[in-house]
Amino acid sequence: MAGFLLKRFLQALLVVVAVTLIVAFAIRLTGDPALMLTQGSASVTEEDLARIRQALGLDRPFFVQYLSFLRGLVSLDFGRSFIGGTPVSRLIAKALPATLGLALSSMLIAIALSVPLGVKAAVARGKWADQLIRICSLAGLSFPNFWLATMMVLVFSITLGWLPPSGMNGFSSLIMPAMTMGVILTATNVRLVRTAMLETLQAQYIMVARAKGLGERAVLYKHGLRNCAIPLMTWFGLQFGALIGGIVVVERVFNWPGLGTLAFDAVAARDYPVLQAVITVLSLLIIGVNLAVDIAYGLIDPRVRVR
Amino acid sequence: MILVETAMKNGLLNCFRGLLATGLWLAAASLAHAGGTLTVSSAQDPGSWDPVDTYLVAWATVATNLYDGLTYRKPDGRLVAGLATSWQTLDGGKRIRFHLRQGVTFHDGEPFNARAVKFTFERLLGEQGSKGPQKSNYAAIDHVAIIDDVTVDFYLKVIDPVLLTKLAGYGAMIVPPDYIEEHGEDWFDSHPIGTGPFKFVSYEPKIGIKLKRFEDFWGAKASISRLDYRFIAEPATAVAELQAGRIDLVSTPPGVPISMIGTIKNNPRLDVVTAPGPSVYALRFNTANGITRDERVRKAIILGVDRQAIIDSILSGYAAPIASFQSALSFGYDPDLSPLPYDPDRARELLKQAGIKPGTKLRIDIRNNNASFNEAVQAVAGYLQMIGLNVTIKLYESNYFLNDIVPQGKTGEMFQQAWGGWTFDYDNTAYFMYHTGEKWNPYDRDASLDRMLEAQRMITDRDQRRSALRAIAKYVADHALELPLYNPEEIFGTNRRVRDFTPVPDSRLRLNQVSVD
Repeated sequence: MAGFLLKRFLQALLVVVAVTLIVAFAIRLTGDPALMLTQGSASVTEEDLARIRQALGLDRPFFVQYLSFLRGLVSLDFGRSFIGGTPVSRLIAKALPATLGLALSSMLIAIALSVPLGVKAAVARGKWADQLIRICSLAGLSFPNFWLATMMVLVFSITLGWLPPSGMNGFSSLIMPAMTMGVILTATNVRLVRTAMLETLQAQYIMVARAKGLGERAVLYKHGLRNCAIPLMTWFGLQFGALIGGIVVVERVFNWPGLGTLAFDAVAARDYPVLQAVITVLSLLIIGVNLAVDIAYGLIDPRVRVR
Repeated sequence: MILVETAMKNGLLNCFRGLLATGLWLAAASLAHAGGTLTVSSAQDPGSWDPVDTYLVAWATVATNLYDGLTYRKPDGRLVAGLATSWQTLDGGKRIRFHLRQGVTFHDGEPFNARAVKFTFERLLGEQGSKGPQKSNYAAIDHVAIIDDVTVDFYLKVIDPVLLTKLAGYGAMIVPPDYIEEHGEDWFDSHPIGTGPFKFVSYEPKIGIKLKRFEDFWGAKASISRLDYRFIAEPATAVAELQAGRIDLVSTPPGVPISMIGTIKNNPRLDVVTAPGPSVYALRFNTANGITRDERVRKAIILGVDRQAIIDSILSGYAAPIASFQSALSFGYDPDLSPLPYDPDRARELLKQAGIKPGTKLRIDIRNNNASFNEAVQAVAGYLQMIGLNVTIKLYESNYFLNDIVPQGKTGEMFQQAWGGWTFDYDNTAYFMYHTGEKWNPYDRDASLDRMLEAQRMITDRDQRRSALRAIAKYVADHALELPLYNPEEIFGTNRRVRDFTPVPDSRLRLNQVSVD
């Protein structure tokens, strides 16, 4: 186990270095932050720009800038935002819990909805319940998350006045963003659960379980679902990456002060330190989730533990 | 943290805290009743509230309520006394003497005086200002000399006819010397103190900033007691918050998108309020290459586009046509200069004269970040198609367009020219758009236009300078250097509980006159 963890840790390190290097390099191709800071001013001279670049540390060669970023990373010092000089660690400390809270709630909603629906569809294969679930899932796959978000705002905030349309202020403000993400994820997951269940249900041990007179619930959830847990776990883990990608849009629509909003603003403003920090944190997060999935295999499936 | 934990363990203390909280809540409730809270959406968190740190309009939207300048520009564009009660221009424009308002204090009680003025400008022009983008705007100032406690002299390196206006905003906001020296620059960034009608309460990065009425304000005291800003980047989200009754005012920029005006107007609790805006949109011609080298072709293109129709349909009428690259509020605007009429027949004739065959290709380069401008340009392309030109539109990412395409002279025959400066002086755009060698003028080399642009900067007499600027605008129009399009209005959305709200053209919303039901 220790060897496994060490290997995974080294892999993670490599991925973080590669990702941050690419991001640091790529964002520097997109334009000069000094120009972004002075936009709107016609009176800016080259000397003014040079001064600002120096103050931001952009006059140094790329690798020096990158190494100082890595050095800061070790002590969790991400430097300061180019926009207003706020310490980046302070921004991350606020945004990370917001994003994690939203992402986990969305995952929970997705799992809570997709597992029973998927199982139901598999059991009722070809019957009307299966058809209905599949059509709904197709519909869910077909509309974009910002559209769903806008529709929810229209119905629940503006027409009914039940939920706040945006911001992060208590549980009520979490419902719509988490539902938006959760419903979209559910649409894909239902199909996966259904397929995995269909395969499992054909296995002989299911027949055995039924033959020995177990109740349908026990057959489905204890023997059936547990056996398709491995592919599903892998899928949910992978999906986390996609979820983080989708969260940028949802955060923006709901004005949710998370990492997505932070990244969005940072790209627009060429705020290198903030963007690099957000990407680093996100890649660590995704690596961490995948690692957790690997470890979870052992908990779910004793066969993995033995090996 | 430790303090909090100890209190948690202590039941008595907890009880006391509860009582205290109730008391505070009651106090807050009664205060709120006296003046009420106004909640405003602002598009962006500037990250720092220090005047020297930023160029963002979103900063000014809020900071106008925190700080004062020596001068103040009213919503109608008139420049009036601010922290200076009067001023004289001396030494042929190279020295300005300011008489300062007496009895003014900063929000923390620190007195405002000549020392604060000197400190503010030494800071702006010195090391602290060098790190930020504001310094260059005030480069004309050489130094500030204290004459006595209530009089200062500004010594200028060069005459800057726009300086008095610039003193009304942004980097020229007067800051408290003792407070900054005591607490440090970092603290000041997130805990701003000024002399304005509202004082700072709290700031949460990326979420919002809260202000409250400053009881010792020198001018008309605010009638609302609390002023809360929430940062909402997406205009549609801001409008949804307005519809839900959770914000009272959608500020500019970007304000209310034109497509959502109808939604707001249909809601009896909400209102749309507009002011003429600072930005102007045009399509500049490439006068060095391609068919637009020929002045006849450029005139034909201007004649061939029905700009009023574009304003009426795409902008739903929320814009004014322009004849030169400035709005009606701009110093140098000439009401007698009218845009070329829409005359497609004459346009076709001019193209024929210039030997342009039907189907000749033409490229328009624009930025990708403005939906209504994008639509307007598509309409322009449609009109040009009708006079026989084959138009393609090329979209660029903003930064790339502004750095690598326009200044390098890599544009097509026409390209986007947009400006939204807050000083409302034609010099601020004209010089940088038309003077030889300037960044936004990659193609034109015109010695006589250069001379006109340089000469107006030396004129201190307002009327003379206005005529000089008007002459420049006419010259540019006569030589058809651009296809002037429109000047969009600033569109605010408000809840009807907001009273006495005056929309402003420059987003610098001073809200001390506003009250709420």
